[in-house]
Amino acid sequence: MLVKDYMTRHPIMISPETLATKAQHIMFENKIRHLPVVGDGKRLLGLITRNRLRVPPTDLPSLSVWEISRILSELTVKDVMVKQAELITISQEAVLEEAAKIMIDNKIGCLPVVEDGIVVGILTEVDLLAELSSLLGGGVHGVRVTIRVPDRPGEFVKVTGAIAAQGWGMYSSGGVPSPKVPDYWDMVIKVRDVPQADLVAVLEKIEGQMIVDVREI
Amino acid sequence: MKNKLGPVLKLEDVAVAYKVRGGEIEAVQNVSFEINRGETHGIVGESGCGKSTVAWAILNFLGANGYVKRGSIKFLGQELVGVTGEELRRLRGDQIAMVYQDPMQALNPSMRLGDQMSEVLTVHQQMEKTKAEKRCIEMLERVYMPDAANVMKRYPHQISGGQQQRVVIAMALLNNPALLIMDEPTTALDVTVEAAVLDLIAELRRDFDTAIMYITHNLGVVARVSTRVGVMYAGEMVERATVEEIYKNPQHPYTQGLIRCVPKLGADKATSMLYPIRGRVPPPNNRPSGCIFGPRCDYVQERCRAERPELRQTEGGSWVRCHFAEEIDPSQWTSSDEVAPPKLDADKQHGDPILELKDLRKYYQVQGSSLKDVIGLGETRYVKAVEGANFSVLQGSTLGIVGESGCGKSTLIKTIIGLEDPTSGEAKFLGVDIANNISSRQQHLIQELQMVFQNPDSTMNPSYTVGQQIGRPMKHFGTVPKNQIRSEVIKLLEAMRLGENYYDRLPRQLSGGEKQRVGIARALASHPDLVLCDEPVSALDVSVQAAILNLLLEIQQEFNTTLIFIAHDLSVVRFFSDQVAVMYLGQFMEIGPAEAIYAPPYHPYSEALLSAVPIPDPTVKQKHIRLKGSVPSAIDPPGGCRFHTRCPRRELLPDGGKICEVETPPWRQVTEDHRIFCHLPLEILSTFDPVISESKEEI
Repeated sequence: MLVKDYMTRHPIMISPETLATKAQHIMFENKIRHLPVVGDGKRLLGLITRNRLRVPPTDLPSLSVWEISRILSELTVKDVMVKQAELITISQEAVLEEAAKIMIDNKIGCLPVVEDGIVVGILTEVDLLAELSSLLGGGVHGVRVTIRVPDRPGEFVKVTGAIAAQGWGMYSSGGVPSPKVPDYWDMVIKVRDVPQADLVAVLEKIEGQMIVDVREI
Repeated sequence: MKNKLGPVLKLEDVAVAYKVRGGEIEAVQNVSFEINRGETHGIVGESGCGKSTVAWAILNFLGANGYVKRGSIKFLGQELVGVTGEELRRLRGDQIAMVYQDPMQALNPSMRLGDQMSEVLTVHQQMEKTKAEKRCIEMLERVYMPDAANVMKRYPHQISGGQQQRVVIAMALLNNPALLIMDEPTTALDVTVEAAVLDLIAELRRDFDTAIMYITHNLGVVARVSTRVGVMYAGEMVERATVEEIYKNPQHPYTQGLIRCVPKLGADKATSMLYPIRGRVPPPNNRPSGCIFGPRCDYVQERCRAERPELRQTEGGSWVRCHFAEEIDPSQWTSSDEVAPPKLDADKQHGDPILELKDLRKYYQVQGSSLKDVIGLGETRYVKAVEGANFSVLQGSTLGIVGESGCGKSTLIKTIIGLEDPTSGEAKFLGVDIANNISSRQQHLIQELQMVFQNPDSTMNPSYTVGQQIGRPMKHFGTVPKNQIRSEVIKLLEAMRLGENYYDRLPRQLSGGEKQRVGIARALASHPDLVLCDEPVSALDVSVQAAILNLLLEIQQEFNTTLIFIAHDLSVVRFFSDQVAVMYLGQFMEIGPAEAIYAPPYHPYSEALLSAVPIPDPTVKQKHIRLKGSVPSAIDPPGGCRFHTRCPRRELLPDGGKICEVETPPWRQVTEDHRIFCHLPLEILSTFDPVISESKEEI
């Protein structure tokens, strides 16, 4: 689960001399929200986001149609992009949680993936959500169980052991500290091709653990 | 999910036109397709159908008189039509790369490989020289180049063709392009090298998420690399579908015709037939109205002549440009008389041996460059081009010879015909010794022994008309009275399906397939008993290839001519030959009846060759055997068994095959006429599984 496995390679990019109106057009037409700005050799120079293309009326000398179209006809990508100095990037060898943390801390929606100053891909919040979804077995039919377990070693193996003893296989699993309940963890597992009642019967027998939520999806 | 960003390349209704005197010609019309990240889109079709033109249009490389007339080409969401100058240069350098057919023409012969490779990085990415070189070495290793650091210091001519193509591919990938256009990248390579390059392309596509546009005329190659395929005919895309659909369920009559033109591996002339498509591709300035394929189509109806079909989606999901795609059932198809393949007498008995070779050798002396060599004291060294050729060919039968390039196939043929003097050994043709110099050979022997060359362009005198070329041997050998030569030539031309109007044409007025027919007609003009064919169909399109093969079969049937047939396409050899010989580094490895060569027991080399053949059927499972390295030098061939350096089966012998390095292997007699040259005993050779197995679905 490294950045290089989840980023989008060969993103759509734009050169700094292009007109901002064209950038807007490309983003609209391809339904994208981020557009890396690159120079020769795909060297990263900046980034265009949808926010950047919102030119506030206060920046305009007047609201005359003529004035607006004159300004737009001269406005280039270079003028509106997030400059390289302010840009936060990531390496393709980084782990996903690191990327996620950077995006949360800075409250940004995308990270250009850069090697030696050259753009190799782009990682957006959608890529991270896709990863979260597949981590929890999204899109695959099975029984999804949330189990609350005490925060101590040896609890997870009780769950896996009980499932393995039945000859079943776990498709996916994940764990987080229980929200609002200190010293407990919530584990989410998904088991395929098992009747819900059978699975619940097996898991209920584990002492000290509690099934919080069961559903077949 | 990977495609949430849309396709890398999207062509919509593209038409490309060339301005010529008196107007313009639309070379390509209405082409639409798209390629996503990590996908290979194959483009197939005969030559002159506009495949390369589409590729050039994408790169805006059409020359001064060509331009995109209609439609749009979108690369990563941005329009490419009309982009010029700086923007275009940046795109070509950074995001789009192209690999051409001939690697030697893509490399600068006067620059070291390392310099020209690192130039890509230093110029486009302003990378430092030392760092760029390190990246280049990494990339060369990525494409499995042996001894990468050393290759950087060499010049292009110092490495083999397969390696050159790898350098070109590595160079194309250095900038991590979003789109890679490959125009027949493996056509010039041997099957074994081709298989390795195709593996590599599939792997790189996965790892780098590159979108690949793969142009080829070889249906087998397309089946192996592509995810989707577009079939082009006369500048239009006539069918577009996933690779499985195209082969299982071809919708367009042209696609069906193409598939009928290629011999299936394992098919032979007794049980199956090739059906060429009648007629030929219309020139772009003279396309028929209505359906463009109409004049060659077996299902043509009134509506096809009046109305041009649109590319439309059928229920199966494939796109096809045909009015009647749903109504056509290819299994009900019968050939029209015009292209009907010759009826073969299945129980034909072959006569006595016409050609017998005993231990024939051909060595070339090589001049050393040391002082000792110059004054004549050095040890004389030889290129052992052909070693111990031992076989006989029966009258009226066909012997196929296969092997990688540089293994002595052509030398053997040239030695038989007399273009080269054999070093030692015996060669008897019709009972007469032909091992001596050709100048002392009798006139009638020369007449009985003729040759068809691979490249008809370089074997025909460009200033002689077709009639003169074919009439010359008749005049020379006096087989036909002088006043009848013309009518005899025309008879031959008609047998080649060329007709009288070709008599006064010059070679440059003929297409490749026609030239090859003239070449065959000339070889047959003296009514020879034995015709040696050196790759006669390799340079031709599949439909022409099918026609030529049928023609040769017919002639063989009629005149009881004996043929020796060299080809690198193993399915063609299997189809065409009665006997097959497998050569490696001048040495015969296996010789036997065609069906025996293609089934176990195999020689390990034959097995590897078979597993490398691209098969025009994506559902067939092939064993994955890839030979390492390239054919060693014939000046200093490996001792013992010549194949031991690359043999994948050596470990089956005790001691890791120590014996293969020191001892010449014995000939193992499988049946009376099937021999294998290997240390492995027959019991082990027989345990090999067949290389090709049908998929389970079909059983």
